[in-house]
Amino acid sequence: MNALSGIRVIDLTMWFQGPVAGQHLADFGAEVIHVERPQGGDLGRGVRSIKAVPVGDWNQYFLIINRNKKSLALDLNTDQGREVMYKLVAEADVFLTNLTSENLEKWQVTYDHLREINPRLVYAMCSGFGPFTKSTRPSFDLTVQALTGIMTRLGEPSQPPIYLGMGSGDAMGGLMAAYGIMVALHARRKTGRGQFLDASLYGAQLFLAAPTLQPYLATRDETYSKQQSRRNAPNPLSNTYPTRRDAPQERLEVGEGDDAGSEDDASRRNAPAGRLYDDGGGDKWLFVCMPNNQDAWAKLTTALYTPELAADPRFATPEGRAEHNAALIAALDTVFAKQTAAEWIYRFTAAGVVAAPINNLAEVAEDPQAWANNYFTKTHCDEVNRQVTVRGLPISLSKTPGSVRTLGPELGQHTEEILTETLGYTWDQVGELKEAGAIL
Amino acid sequence: MGALSDITVIDLTASFWASAGTALLADFGADVMQVEEVKGGKKEERLPGWDLLARRNKRRAMVADDAGLRATIEEADVFATDLSFPELEARGLDYDTLAAGKAALIYACASGFGPEGSDRDLPALDELAAARTGMMPVLPQPGEPPVYTGAGQMYSSVMLALGVMLALHHLEETGEGQRVDVSLFSGNMYGASLDIQAYLAIGGERLLHPISRLDAGNPMSGPSYPSSDGRWVTLTMPDTDRYWPRFAPVVGLDPADPRFDTHDKRCEANRLELIQYLDGAFCRQPAVHWKQQIVELGLSGDVIEAYDYPANDEEARRNRYVIDVEGSDSIGLPIYMSETPAAMPAEARAVAR
Repeated sequence: MNALSGIRVIDLTMWFQGPVAGQHLADFGAEVIHVERPQGGDLGRGVRSIKAVPVGDWNQYFLIINRNKKSLALDLNTDQGREVMYKLVAEADVFLTNLTSENLEKWQVTYDHLREINPRLVYAMCSGFGPFTKSTRPSFDLTVQALTGIMTRLGEPSQPPIYLGMGSGDAMGGLMAAYGIMVALHARRKTGRGQFLDASLYGAQLFLAAPTLQPYLATRDETYSKQQSRRNAPNPLSNTYPTRRDAPQERLEVGEGDDAGSEDDASRRNAPAGRLYDDGGGDKWLFVCMPNNQDAWAKLTTALYTPELAADPRFATPEGRAEHNAALIAALDTVFAKQTAAEWIYRFTAAGVVAAPINNLAEVAEDPQAWANNYFTKTHCDEVNRQVTVRGLPISLSKTPGSVRTLGPELGQHTEEILTETLGYTWDQVGELKEAGAIL
Repeated sequence: MGALSDITVIDLTASFWASAGTALLADFGADVMQVEEVKGGKKEERLPGWDLLARRNKRRAMVADDAGLRATIEEADVFATDLSFPELEARGLDYDTLAAGKAALIYACASGFGPEGSDRDLPALDELAAARTGMMPVLPQPGEPPVYTGAGQMYSSVMLALGVMLALHHLEETGEGQRVDVSLFSGNMYGASLDIQAYLAIGGERLLHPISRLDAGNPMSGPSYPSSDGRWVTLTMPDTDRYWPRFAPVVGLDPADPRFDTHDKRCEANRLELIQYLDGAFCRQPAVHWKQQIVELGLSGDVIEAYDYPANDEEARRNRYVIDVEGSDSIGLPIYMSETPAAMPAEARAVAR
């Protein structure tokens, strides 16, 4: 049994923020029906390249955020199409959308319309700027992230602002919407009624910025809003450091290396951050994560073999290390540059220094820890007729775990099934709808 | 009536992100009892304002011993914790022990790297998880140090609350409790979904390394351009055909300019030339000019602001995304609900036990 067995979701969304909200529910077993226009469907189906790199033979962008869903190709510009939608609404628990209010009005699928049909409906809106904002401006992930302020505080001083990553804000918006839907479903159990909820991109991205936005709001201290150089990190023991480049090593495959190799190799494989290799793309950096206290300082200087730093009176106390942070970081930069990341991690593991190599996407893709927890999984992709690796389940439930059963459906793949089995249309009626252009 | 007013949560979390996750339950009326340990307990450097977000709407209790804590948990619907797995096991607060006393318990565990695998017991530090996720080297400009955003942990916060709600739904349907696990690693990875997935599907060197803003995939969607007053402007017009006729004149180009008159020319053949051109064009006017043009012409983009923008933004206040808590500004309530809205934070009250 799945956690959300029996919950039916109408997913009138496109691109990322809305679809990924539906994906969370679908992963845990809700029947999620992705409603798409018959002409081309969700615009996410049209993604051809990522960062100027062609997507290849399968469009992961669309297929993964719409996994485990059904596709209903429906033209809401037609009376017949809207009639199908209303019948589906009567049978649904949740209506999820991130389309503009202009379109929702035009198609008469606003909350006011739909609650008349089904008072138990949870209507979830993924808006750009919130329910009390009268704005028609577009709300792309990056545009909204630009307004939150987080981009301006990242990176070294004088560097351009930094985007948190493709879809980073949409991912949070979708997660918030999924949470809101679950809260509203719980409330419905008690009240017998559905309701309207809005998890906007702006609200979600302000929450995303919380670790530094919240201190800024509380203090108005620009330390939290402006770029801070790693060369002046307030605690030099919690900072990033570049190490010596190693000759490129052969990449270790997941699951490899279980046989006993040399003790040294085994220690490195068991280092806290998993496998290490240099992809030849630049210096390997480490993230050292220690508190500024005497115990941590002793461990670090031992592991670094730096008696001269340990003896330096400027760095002898936490206060001294904080006061002379720039000098200490400069000294540590010199030390770290003498050995490879693998060597340092080996020594740190032995000395109890908490640190991790700063990995790249190739390394996370092979990280055994991610695989052990199902953060990655493999599934069959019909489009290319082979197994592909996809991001898995970030939330683990012990008795009703989520799963990846299918990747995103073909446009209109389930139209006839939904019409005949869920809504009770006859095949003649289905033919008439096709004739009228209401369905694909 | 709060949406979750019938739910009780014993909250043995100390880290900002995990406590912020249970605060999302408290916002909707769950009775969340934040347990403070008389002896020891987890220590974390807490930045100003963190507690206003992470502890709001919760009650607080001091618990002297684990036997008392176990008895309290048995009376609750949900137990949430960010203690390490070895400590939970050593103290008899692990899932198996608690579920033996109450099968219907929802046991929510917030860890650094998940309950399985050889690194399950690593410290739950967002920095370690972020380092491991693969995004830090990608974020800056080429040649710059890797970037730690600190934001990854917030996905984990919401996932904790969502995981509890998924398990509650199943509990209400079947009477069966279960264990919920989220981690800093899973949250950081989820936040990097599109980058990670693109690499998995496409591979190649380009996706592993920083890409210069002057080498962006789409000159009109993604890159940032400096304006004459040093502020940055970013554009988000992925379907360039739709915007080009209005956008081109704004930057001094003829829409029929044969170098850029199709989407493919703008985003493929002459992509770099267009980026160079725009980089020069945006430098000629201040940010306020560009903002005005974007609004007036219905383009998509904006000036990249700093934290003073949301702090002073009336829309953020009107939507309760920024609120006043105990006389201080705070991040507010990201989800609006028409019938069972999240509550304004009530003053936490200490409950001695």
